[in-house]
Amino acid sequence: MNRSLVILLGVLALGAVIFAGSYFVSQRASAVTHSADDLNWLRDEFHLSDADMARVRQLHEGYMPQCAKMCALIAAKQAEVQAALGTGTNVTAEAQQKLTELGELRAQCQAQMIQHFIAVSQAMPPGQGQRYLAEMKKLTLGSHEEIEQSMSDHAGHEHGTN
Amino acid sequence: MNPDDTKFSQVLRAARPSPSLPPRFQENVWRRIEDAEAPAKSGSWLDALTALVLRPRFAYATVAMLVLAGAFLGTYQGAQTARHNEQARYLAAVAPDSLR
Repeated sequence: MNRSLVILLGVLALGAVIFAGSYFVSQRASAVTHSADDLNWLRDEFHLSDADMARVRQLHEGYMPQCAKMCALIAAKQAEVQAALGTGTNVTAEAQQKLTELGELRAQCQAQMIQHFIAVSQAMPPGQGQRYLAEMKKLTLGSHEEIEQSMSDHAGHEHGTN
Repeated sequence: MNPDDTKFSQVLRAARPSPSLPPRFQENVWRRIEDAEAPAKSGSWLDALTALVLRPRFAYATVAMLVLAGAFLGTYQGAQTARHNEQARYLAAVAPDSLR
């Protein structure tokens, strides 16, 4: 092989190694410098002051036990649903009742969650609060809306073809 | 000098005639001298590129540029990853998976 070509390939490989090393070291350093606080994202993303953060933290700490309690209730109800469904091939009246109760519990938990988001948004500066609320609705309810939208699109398409 | 020696020299010179020079002999000699003194020319663009890459100033500048570009992109990407992880951590705390 041509000597110049070998040298150029070596230089390119060395350049790639230098770039990759620099990239990974910087990436790792940048990721490590961030704290492990659950609320750190709120401070950075919504540019909150210490006073804003104190209000938000108080709301967050008040909400967490309620959230944990609801999660425990939902987990227990899910276990009941599994037990009621058993290994049968049809949905019994008891299983249907348990599914309804599970849905109600989830709805209560979601309502409580949205109420918390509203309270947190009101603890922020107005512009940031609106942005936070919109972002949280999108992140938590958005997936349901996407699924429902895709289902309605699919149903509409089927009606159109029939 | 002995007159006999002079005569002897003339006889010797006549016995060894010098050949005539080829055409454009002097011009060719000068061209070869100039070629020998000129810096060596590279054979192809690959050789020229290699010579450029191996120049210390170019090599240092390239290494510095690669380090800076890697550090900049790595820092940006690391910050994006950290931000995404923090958002996921907050969401996991306030909105359990069963509600999303």
